[in-house]
Amino acid sequence: MHKLHEVKTGQKAVVKNIKGDARFLSRITSIGLSLGCEIQMLHNKGKLPLLFYGRDTVIALNREDSKGVLVEVIA
Amino acid sequence: MTSVSSNRITIALLGQPNSGKSTLFNGLTGARQRVGNWPGKTVEKKEGHFDRNGIRYRVTDLPGTYSLSANSEEEIITRDYIASGEADVVCILADSSQLSRSLFMLADYAGINCPAVLLLNLMDIANSQGKTIDAAKIEERLGIPVVPFVAADTKHYDAFYKAIDRAFKEKSIINSDSLFAKYRGIQDGSYEKLLNLMPKEGIDNFSADWLSAKLIEGDTAILEKAHKTLSFEAYKEVQTVLSSVQNGALETAGCKFKWIDELLEGAVVQKKEKKLLSKFDKIATHQRWGKPLAVLIILLGLITSFIPATPIMLAGSMIPKLGEPIANALTVISAPQMLINFINQVVLNTLYFAVAMIGFVFGVNLVFGFLEEVGYMARVSYVFDSAMARLGLQGKAVMPLVVSFGCTIGGAAGTRVIDSWGQKVLTIALAWVVPCAATWAIVPVISSLFFGAWAPLIIVAIFIVAGLHMLITAKVFGRKLVREEDRAGLIMELPPYHRPRWKALLRSIFVRTWDILSRALRIIFVVSLVFWLLTYSASGNQEQTLLYRFGKAIEPVTKVLGFTWQTFLAYFASMVSKEAALGVLGSLYLGADTLFSATVASGGQVASGLGSVLLTSLTQPAALAFIFAVTFNAPCLMAITSTYQETRSLKWTLRILGYYFITSLLLAFLVYHISGLFL
Repeated sequence: MHKLHEVKTGQKAVVKNIKGDARFLSRITSIGLSLGCEIQMLHNKGKLPLLFYGRDTVIALNREDSKGVLVEVIA
Repeated sequence: MTSVSSNRITIALLGQPNSGKSTLFNGLTGARQRVGNWPGKTVEKKEGHFDRNGIRYRVTDLPGTYSLSANSEEEIITRDYIASGEADVVCILADSSQLSRSLFMLADYAGINCPAVLLLNLMDIANSQGKTIDAAKIEERLGIPVVPFVAADTKHYDAFYKAIDRAFKEKSIINSDSLFAKYRGIQDGSYEKLLNLMPKEGIDNFSADWLSAKLIEGDTAILEKAHKTLSFEAYKEVQTVLSSVQNGALETAGCKFKWIDELLEGAVVQKKEKKLLSKFDKIATHQRWGKPLAVLIILLGLITSFIPATPIMLAGSMIPKLGEPIANALTVISAPQMLINFINQVVLNTLYFAVAMIGFVFGVNLVFGFLEEVGYMARVSYVFDSAMARLGLQGKAVMPLVVSFGCTIGGAAGTRVIDSWGQKVLTIALAWVVPCAATWAIVPVISSLFFGAWAPLIIVAIFIVAGLHMLITAKVFGRKLVREEDRAGLIMELPPYHRPRWKALLRSIFVRTWDILSRALRIIFVVSLVFWLLTYSASGNQEQTLLYRFGKAIEPVTKVLGFTWQTFLAYFASMVSKEAALGVLGSLYLGADTLFSATVASGGQVASGLGSVLLTSLTQPAALAFIFAVTFNAPCLMAITSTYQETRSLKWTLRILGYYFITSLLLAFLVYHISGLFL
């Protein structure tokens, strides 16, 4: 199991768990991220927020919150 | 329902950001719209109407939110509005190019007992991505009208009108049974237990199922509602059930997306592989090149905005030229001199200022509206997120700030791309700090006059002070304008790029341009009139003007701040236009021109001989204090007008104005006394 910010650019992963307060859970799910959802990391460099593709959408997520998203790398 | 007769239908537009709500709203209502704030809230409220077949359709554009939880003011407003039953039909917009995510709003709405229509918007983009969507199949499964749609193209609106009428007549409610069935599987049947405790008929427009799901998500506002409605025992039971539920929002979201996947099963076909990140996007979001590229594009945008603006601004500059023929004509019919003066100076200059301002605002809105429309501004938000977050702003706010180096009017107008009202006002308040181009018509002149080769140091000092000023101003205004919860880290989508829809873009700009012109005319007229009266004297003698007497009278006070009465009046006039500072000095020290025309029409010209007079009348600290006071004063009358236009709040415009007036004087005081120790 990895934290989302540990997924390297180009890797694919499946979301296994999301931790955070109700507000964060509601925000992150409404933008398309949910358990079992497959993502592909598009950009994970420097200090910029993470950029990944999931559920038809390019999503940007700040690094701090991304530590609460646990994933399993699949490719 | 508030619509008492059948010839009145209220439609509410609901959708996630970037789903095209505003485009549809502008397309439906055109100029028949009103923009204000929701009562007591810092959230924009847009209402309008259109008539069709003798029926008046009222349209409310609900705030763009990602869901119907109660995490932000926008979401609470949206939900309360739907609960109130004011809308007869809720029109849910989804982005067809990202359908599975964008239908989350529909899934979150399912269970609300208000007739609905689903618009599959941006269908043209979905098609260009090789997607085909079977709307009829989705409609059959949902039980509400589903319309393939392109909000930017009014040719599609007929199908929309028909769908609204059908939903209204048939009272079509989303078929949510299979979604509710999924909820039943959540955490030891907590959902079912809650459902049994809720009133059978629900509360307001919310069904018992919808309420139960929200309770599981940990929605405190709904819990409060339940508290008010349920018996003491039932409410206690609800609390017991909820105490064992963890991460409910995660579970219900899983159900919602599963429901969406089933809904789209076999209804969406993707032919070609979608490209995830284009070559351009790789640079636009690059950790090193993203920021310079954004600044470059914004600067190019600023220059480009002068292309549509210049003809309008040139036309405006012809207006004062009418002064002479009008004066001649009026003299022939022996009109009083005061009237001629009034028309020449106040009326014509008001028209000139307002037209020039409109020209520039139009150009800025066109160019940056275009960048927003094609999707680039979201990339700017992404690369500048952490830098701007320090000021309490979203990344996009960098654009108005950069534009303000050119002109603060454009900076204020550029905040239109910022979707939160509080952040918009804060961005404008900060944009006023940025020294605009006109500053450089004054500061170098006086700096080199008094400090010779050291002048560049003063410019460096101005930039350092500007930086500190921004940090302080962000703190002062940020507390009230940007709510703590909106300062959370970035979570956003980067919408796919698409070709601009010029017609829709121009429509949205023209709608507001008339509004801006009429307001600008009023404000500029009133302020010009006041300033004209202050500087009016029948004989043309300055010493008889009210402004002169005022300046002389308060000189003992302004002296403490480092001003002579002349520099104070010049500082005062620089609120009308920055260039006026030098013109008014010329007028006061040399009698070169009347005070009024020195203020509105000096164009930054330096009267000959002014330099030597200034050198003998001002000390170095006084000159330095003057430079800082003028630089950090309110930018100009048109920027103030533009601020009022964008914030639509006289209170906040005056607050910002008062803040700059006081801080610039305070700054002058500090500069005068501190530099006095060394110079």
